[in-house]
Amino acid sequence: MKAIRQETDEDLLIRLRRGDEAAFLALYRKRQAALYRFALQMSGSAAVAEDITQEVFLALLRGECGFNPERGSLSGYLFGIARKLALRQMERGRVDVALESDAEDADLPELAVNDDTLADLTHREGIEALRRAVSALPRRYREVVVLCDLEEVDYADAAAALACPIGTVRSRLHRARALLLEKLNKERPKPVGALKPVRCAI
Amino acid sequence: MNCAEFWNEMPELASGGESEHAHLKQCPQCAGLIDRQRRLASGLRTMAHEMGAVAAPPRVEANLLEAFRSEMASAGPRLVRMRMLPVFSWVAAAAAVIAMAAWVAPRRHTAPPAAHHTPAAGVELASLVDDAADDDGFIPLPNAERVGPNDDVHVVRMELPRSAMLVVGLDVSPERVSERVEAEVMLGPDGLARAVRFADESGTY
Repeated sequence: MKAIRQETDEDLLIRLRRGDEAAFLALYRKRQAALYRFALQMSGSAAVAEDITQEVFLALLRGECGFNPERGSLSGYLFGIARKLALRQMERGRVDVALESDAEDADLPELAVNDDTLADLTHREGIEALRRAVSALPRRYREVVVLCDLEEVDYADAAAALACPIGTVRSRLHRARALLLEKLNKERPKPVGALKPVRCAI
Repeated sequence: MNCAEFWNEMPELASGGESEHAHLKQCPQCAGLIDRQRRLASGLRTMAHEMGAVAAPPRVEANLLEAFRSEMASAGPRLVRMRMLPVFSWVAAAAAVIAMAAWVAPRRHTAPPAAHHTPAAGVELASLVDDAADDDGFIPLPNAERVGPNDDVHVVRMELPRSAMLVVGLDVSPERVSERVEAEVMLGPDGLARAVRFADESGTY
């Protein structure tokens, strides 16, 4: 039985540039969801994510992106465009779900957290808390978690998208995970024993 | 391997399969930390799985499809025509325009600098050409055969020295003569250049 070769993004791009509508649609359908989710996580707004997804493919269509296959995959490149568009939106002050400092050298939390926090991650409430924690991460940590942990983009593509070396992707991911654990720990309701004792008036 | 070296590689390890790592067997602290990382990674995978169905609304695809068709409709004929052109045609066209520019430019340089900016100089140079620009903005080249209404013409886009603008009577400041400018050259059925139009500063024609 003859194996059917799956067309790569680069094959589809070549056909797209020749005016092949089916190739354009195939590429869009293959990549749009991940780009939309990335934009949604970065902006916190469905309307902005929709605009960004559309703009990414319009840039590709108009040949404005200057994609060079020798520098990385098309997927990484498209995430890079989406990221730039999201950053532009943030600079305009329209959206930014993270309110904390983006300082790279901010004090980092220890990884020592209550194990119950992690046990919660098997429940719906735990996942909701995790979702909030991801949204509250400073931008540079949020983008690396969304790319590498949620969209499973490999480090090389993530480095291309974030315009930084692979080593930086690794270190940011490490810090991002530490921050997530810290945030999850903070979100947990304090045990009764931890309440401040008060004097009884009776 | 010490703790620092181990954590340097941590992100890859957190995905699983690292339990047998020699460092973890001798360092309970790192073993505990990696376990927490693994559980966090598992939570993130669950979150990713739950978000898996989230995608751009169908109207984005519809908008893009419309944009694709419109882009292809406007670029298509030109692309096809350009592809069919023999290489020598556009090389000949570029050579013709550059040669004319080279012929005119030295004359312009010998004129007093102020003359470059005066309307009189523009009128004088404009008289080198037979006609003004047509509706498409194409300016006929001096001494080139006219393009007939039924002639099959081709348009090629190229970069030219700005001095080529002098050929068709356009004013160019002396300090910008050596810059390059994007232009479209119209070739007749015989492959010879007939007219040219230059992009403005924003790159539009």
